[in-house]
Amino acid sequence: MTSYSKEVIADLVAGTLPWPQTRRVMSAYKDDDRFFKYVAVLQDRVGWKDPILLPVSDHLFICQSGDERVTKCECGHSFGDYRKNWKLKASIIVRDTEESLREIYPNSDLPDPDWMEIREFICPRCGTLHEVEAAAPGYPIVHDFEPDLEGFYREWLGKPL
Amino acid sequence: MLDKPASALRIRERLIESERLMEETGCYDGITELELRNQDPLKFETLHTKLRAYCVSAREMARRISASPGVREVGEMVVAIYTPEGDAIALSNGIMVHVHTMSRFIKWMIRNGYEENPRIRDGDIFANNDAFIGTVQVPDVMDVVPIFHSGKLVGWAGAVCHELEAGGITPGGDVALAQERFTEGLFVCAEKVGENDELRRDYVIRCERNLRMPIYWVLDEKAKVASCIDMRESVKGLIDEIGLDYWMQVSKEFIEEGRRAQLARTRQLTVPGIYRGHTFYGHVTKGKPGYQPLGDPDWLYNMPIEMEITTDGKIIMDFEGTQPWGYHSMNCTPAGMDGGMFVTLTQHMNFEGLVNDGAWMATELKLPHGTWTNPDSEMVATATSWALLLPAYGVFQRLLSRSFIGRGFVEEAFVGQVNSPMIEMGGTSQYGSLFGMAHFECAAAGSGALAIKDGLDTAYVGWNPESDMGNIEIWEQNMPMFYIGRSIVPNSGGAGKYRGGCAFLSTWLVSKTDHLRLVTSEHSSRVFDNGGMCGGYPAPTCQKHRAVRDSNIFELAGKGAPLAHHTGTNPHRSELEVRLQGEHVTMEGPYITAPHKTGDVFTHSYNGGGGYGDVLERDPVKTAWDVENGFLTKEAAEGIFGIMLDEDEDGYPVANIEATRRHRAEMRAARLARAKPVSEWIAAERSRVEKADFAPEVKKMYASAIKLSSRFTRDFSDFWKVDARSIFMPGAKP
Repeated sequence: MTSYSKEVIADLVAGTLPWPQTRRVMSAYKDDDRFFKYVAVLQDRVGWKDPILLPVSDHLFICQSGDERVTKCECGHSFGDYRKNWKLKASIIVRDTEESLREIYPNSDLPDPDWMEIREFICPRCGTLHEVEAAAPGYPIVHDFEPDLEGFYREWLGKPL
Repeated sequence: MLDKPASALRIRERLIESERLMEETGCYDGITELELRNQDPLKFETLHTKLRAYCVSAREMARRISASPGVREVGEMVVAIYTPEGDAIALSNGIMVHVHTMSRFIKWMIRNGYEENPRIRDGDIFANNDAFIGTVQVPDVMDVVPIFHSGKLVGWAGAVCHELEAGGITPGGDVALAQERFTEGLFVCAEKVGENDELRRDYVIRCERNLRMPIYWVLDEKAKVASCIDMRESVKGLIDEIGLDYWMQVSKEFIEEGRRAQLARTRQLTVPGIYRGHTFYGHVTKGKPGYQPLGDPDWLYNMPIEMEITTDGKIIMDFEGTQPWGYHSMNCTPAGMDGGMFVTLTQHMNFEGLVNDGAWMATELKLPHGTWTNPDSEMVATATSWALLLPAYGVFQRLLSRSFIGRGFVEEAFVGQVNSPMIEMGGTSQYGSLFGMAHFECAAAGSGALAIKDGLDTAYVGWNPESDMGNIEIWEQNMPMFYIGRSIVPNSGGAGKYRGGCAFLSTWLVSKTDHLRLVTSEHSSRVFDNGGMCGGYPAPTCQKHRAVRDSNIFELAGKGAPLAHHTGTNPHRSELEVRLQGEHVTMEGPYITAPHKTGDVFTHSYNGGGGYGDVLERDPVKTAWDVENGFLTKEAAEGIFGIMLDEDEDGYPVANIEATRRHRAEMRAARLARAKPVSEWIAAERSRVEKADFAPEVKKMYASAIKLSSRFTRDFSDFWKVDARSIFMPGAKP
């Protein structure tokens, strides 16, 4: 069975594993013990103790926080119950003018702000940009992911939550 | 005895029986045990590898027969081997999207009584390019031949080439101006086009008299037939070796194993749950010549996708809430939607083990009737359905990637494919003859970023994993234009910790013709039709065309003066305007205009991919390399990524790490100061929603989605706490 050390997984996640080795990881049979090593790597990275149950973005994690399961930023800011859309508790910058779009697209033709805007969802504590939506004005904010956390642990990982 | 299926049942009854067994047992054709695999796994794997080798070798041989640079250079071809019921057992590389669409074509013939009339006999050749029977669009022409052994139907061999000219209302293959089926070009509707391994002369004559450049289509037909015969003979030889009974059983076990492998891989790589995403497409044709006033000239489509991964490993994709079909060329049939799913799975999850129709059987598509994904009229045009398919399956790739990130397989997370606008052309060639061609250098867009590195620059499209732009010299042999530039477009990848792959732009001088028609498609210029992920931004929207008619380029060249080789980085004044005199043209959306002639200059830009992660985390050293090599500008490095660059003694950019750290701290503080709580934004935005204070195209999009989908209506109303129907469909009956 394929398996990698925690150090290799840490480098892979950080994007610092040399490309030839990364390429081999991509081409090889997948390592079935990846998930818990991955979580351990991320747990080392964050500055808090709440156990990570499931990463949901680059710096967002569902974790066990006391009796609650919450979505948490790497800085420790909690967005509340993991079953709710974390974006609704975030801060937002909306780019809906040519001037504000031009800041990100300095050389190209721009979308029409009457047809489309960019929404940046930001951690209100550390300022990390967690997600960007490109949507028509008035389009509801999307709830990206509702994991079946219980089913994942019980049926796929074979471990209790 | 010829013409009889291997089973005692006729093939139509056999197909129905196979589907019933799948329904009853949940396993392909009722194969609940992989007996042959368990008996001798090595023999099992070896046989499948042989079948794959037959396919790969047949395709490579056929590409040498073709005259089309699309097939020869860019590899726009795929071949596959099927069961008698039409399920794919093994396939080649290439445009794998068509493996399952061919399956639909074979099944369609079986269901429609082809056994009785026109009969299915050894040596017959059947062709199809009707998307409602089984393909994606008119230029995707497929040929299949039955495989008989000992007088029994034991399988099919099939091949598809993307034709560069289809004989539609506009030249080329992707007929941008088609607004109904009747202007898309030459249709071959599940037709017997040959017997005794030979194409019928009357069929070839029909092609020769209805296409602008028949050499491409006709030689591709010969290439496909050759590849089918090659595979057929190989399979017959294999059956001689292993026995007919073994073949009939093992071919089904291959598919059932493929189905099981897909389910297992989903359980291995992903996380169960509900994933959601969306993208958009904006079409702009107002005032352009040729478009009939059958629908709105400018429109906006939303493409919301909900993906469910169940705990048994099934992937279900639901397009509810999207837009109705329209009088344009971008509609898609369920066959095309299936194809998009299949080609995406083959790239993302089926990178090991058996790859065949089994993977498709482990998924489910929900395509709302009456939408562009499943039109309720078979008269609609699908000539450029990739325009919507690519953005939609780019969303699918991001949804899958979210699951890979959750599970820890970050090396597989990929921000996804993007549209790649195509140029079609026709008129008088540089040789003075009639010509027509699709320029396929578009098969090399920028890819989305990965979760661990930047995307591929000018090297990926979703429909063909062997993406390739082709050599300039080959394209120049086939069109009356030559390249005066093929350049990386700086900042064309979506910004992010890992940027999207960059696009390229070509600049041509029209030469040796007084009549060159240029038509382009797959342009979403008003809105992003791609996305970023985890904080990454979308790549820029599709760029405008810039051209110069009656330019003074020959005069400049005669003087040895500098020419324009690209459009430059000033969005307000292109290099063409700086360097060339003549009639300057800037056109948004599809390019459709009066013919060009010698001395005109034309540019066409492809698309980059979306970014991944927060821009303020981008590597300054890699960014300096990007600036040095023209993938990013110094201004973008500083303004978007907060990366300060100095110059070394030779003038090359080097990252100033300390200045970058300080600048990024300022940018982060500015970001926090500028942002407001989402709750405040929602409260303020709600009044705009209540007044429907939107552009007409945006209002129309909401009204159409609400009319077609109760779920969209409910979600919209719940989010904004409004009555969506009364806002966007005032007076409509509940």
